[in-house]
Amino acid sequence: MSEMPKEKMQHLDEMTCLLYIERQLDRTRGLEVSAHTQECDSCRTLLRALERESRLLTRAMLEAEEPLPSRLAQFQERARKSMQWIWGLVFGLAATGAYALYTGYIYPWQQQLEQAGFGGSNLLGLLIFQGAFWKGWQSMITLLEVLAMVTLAGLGAIFFRRRMRRGSALAMVFAGFCTLLALPAPAAATEFRKGDNVEVSKSETIKGDVYITCGRGHVDGTIDGDLYFFGESLDVNGHVTGDVIVFSKSARINGEVDGNVRAFNNNLTITGTVGRNVMAFDESLNIDSSAKIGRSLTSFVESLSVDGSVGRDALLFFAHANLAGKIDGEVRARGDSLVIGSTAVIGGPVKYKGNKQAVVSPSAKLASPVEFTQLEKRREYRHGNYYVWQVIWAAAFILFGLVLFALMPKFAEDAVKSAEQYGAAAGLGVLVLFGVPIAAVIACITVVGLFIGISTLFLWYASLYFAQVIVGAVVGQWLMGRTSELWPLIGRMAVGLVIVRLCTTIPHVGGWVKFAAILWGIGAISLALYRRFQPVIAPGTPSAPFTPPLPPHTTVGGTMPA
Amino acid sequence: MSAPGITEPTEVITRARAGDAEAWGELYREFAPAIFRFCRRALPTREDAEDATMEIFMKLRGKLGQYDMTRSFSAWLYKVAANHCWDTLRRRKTRQDKETEDLENVPLEHPDPNQLDQLIDQRTSEEVRKALEKLGARARMALVMRYYSDMSYDEIADALGVRRAFVGVVLLRARHELRQALEGSAALAAGGAS
Repeated sequence: MSEMPKEKMQHLDEMTCLLYIERQLDRTRGLEVSAHTQECDSCRTLLRALERESRLLTRAMLEAEEPLPSRLAQFQERARKSMQWIWGLVFGLAATGAYALYTGYIYPWQQQLEQAGFGGSNLLGLLIFQGAFWKGWQSMITLLEVLAMVTLAGLGAIFFRRRMRRGSALAMVFAGFCTLLALPAPAAATEFRKGDNVEVSKSETIKGDVYITCGRGHVDGTIDGDLYFFGESLDVNGHVTGDVIVFSKSARINGEVDGNVRAFNNNLTITGTVGRNVMAFDESLNIDSSAKIGRSLTSFVESLSVDGSVGRDALLFFAHANLAGKIDGEVRARGDSLVIGSTAVIGGPVKYKGNKQAVVSPSAKLASPVEFTQLEKRREYRHGNYYVWQVIWAAAFILFGLVLFALMPKFAEDAVKSAEQYGAAAGLGVLVLFGVPIAAVIACITVVGLFIGISTLFLWYASLYFAQVIVGAVVGQWLMGRTSELWPLIGRMAVGLVIVRLCTTIPHVGGWVKFAAILWGIGAISLALYRRFQPVIAPGTPSAPFTPPLPPHTTVGGTMPA
Repeated sequence: MSAPGITEPTEVITRARAGDAEAWGELYREFAPAIFRFCRRALPTREDAEDATMEIFMKLRGKLGQYDMTRSFSAWLYKVAANHCWDTLRRRKTRQDKETEDLENVPLEHPDPNQLDQLIDQRTSEEVRKALEKLGARARMALVMRYYSDMSYDEIADALGVRRAFVGVVLLRARHELRQALEGSAALAAGGAS
């Protein structure tokens, strides 16, 4: 190339020059370019110009000519808050699970133990129902209210932020201000009352809504607005002109409520008057003979007794119900057993779906005979209760998984990894699912193996549940990405488990989904156990550091020659 | 590969992966300005860049578990950001089909190096930034990925969905577009001055 006169020398094209300075040419071509630029002024200048252009570009782009917008500066806080709903949900589900475990297992055992003479000082009952549990409610409720407000506001802000640009957002804010200015000031303020015992005395009249959070509440006076109550027990002996919304262990409405009663209790007793509707989610609901409900009654209860009068229709879900009062409208009932007493007067038709025929007294005055439909036992997914229990079970599973993951983080991680070897996990799953109980039963038959057999059966049964937890974690990882850290893995397990449990509720298919999940999960657990008990090869001499192979486009170009 | 001025906060990343909110905050504070600038260069408006930065960090929170700790965090972060920005631009259909066809024609001319030298001498960083805003989506994206976040040709090819062999062509065409925009602004400036 050097013997060629410079004016006749063929110049490098710009593409080649760019690839050279970007170190993208292969070795041979790079050397050719390097040799050429030592001879050719024009190409050397072009290389230099291209490099300067690269530097100019980098400099121009890296310069921070504008500060980070305040919206971004504060974003991390909001991002943190936006994740709280997931933890709130997990916490809520876990708490529900704890409740389910208590009501489903601990409480019945406790009852049986007490009946068997092991009662004595009932510590758990003492703690929960003798007042200690209810004392902290007021502060809890305030915290929950704040959390709920922040979450709602956060979700709302995210929802609207995605749909509005700055101009429209400003217009919305101005319109909001104008609307606020145009609105008249509220006539009555909301009152908050807290304490162990809160009383609205006979002579007292409160204008506006009242929020009461306390142990025991007594309303003997008048509330000219709505009453919201959170606490252990409530007695309304006075007059409430609005609605009564009550969350408590027990509540009695002895006085007069002009609006609606919405109750979430263990026990609700109504002996007074309710002007509009009653909706109750209770363990037991008693509507006394002196009680009057102006409009409809809706109940989701275990035990229901209606001796008073209901002005319109009644929609009743129950385990056991006794109707002995006066219902002017239609009755739609669903439950296990229904008794219509001799004093009952029902103005509309009675439609009852249940497990047993209703027992109707001959003296009862009914507009028409009871229309009875036998509930199909196998189609339990048609019940609302079924889904509620599914939620509770999902919560119990999360709690179970949380405990197991926290106790055995390494093993849980291994099991989740093993689950991703689908073939091996499924194959081993079939073997363990069917083989282990058979082996355990055989072990039980021989006297020597009784303890081992029962223990194995117990472990096998527990692993059926753990299997679903593992599958939940795998599903969670599919959705939210892999992790080897404990708490993110638990989070993924919670999310995945909810999805798996949801899939198991699908009619007809759900059972198979559950079976597949158990099969898969139990296989993964077995695989992880198998690996754990495998002998580990002792580490030998450290291997040489890994050197990655050269990529196909080996680069040798670089800075231009001086 | 890592952007200038950014160090690898390994310990903070480990804590953030374990769910430590404070560590997450530290990561955000350290990398948000760089990612915002990346988005600002790559996307047409400031609002787009703000939205994209937030979305990238939200995405990052979920993806942090996938990050391979043996590799450069900033490189991985820029890859996530580049994919996000390019997806945003593609959803808006700003990419022109014509650009794909152009890739087949490799520019083989040898420009006048002195003229190019002169152009670079006369232009300020601000003028370059303004000219960048006038480029097509792919050209701008390619330049930002290469000269802001120092991404490799493989990564650029992956993000833009073109063959690796064409990345050089995309970059060179982008430079040509940029020079035209710079010359246009110079002509306007000269016209304004006369």
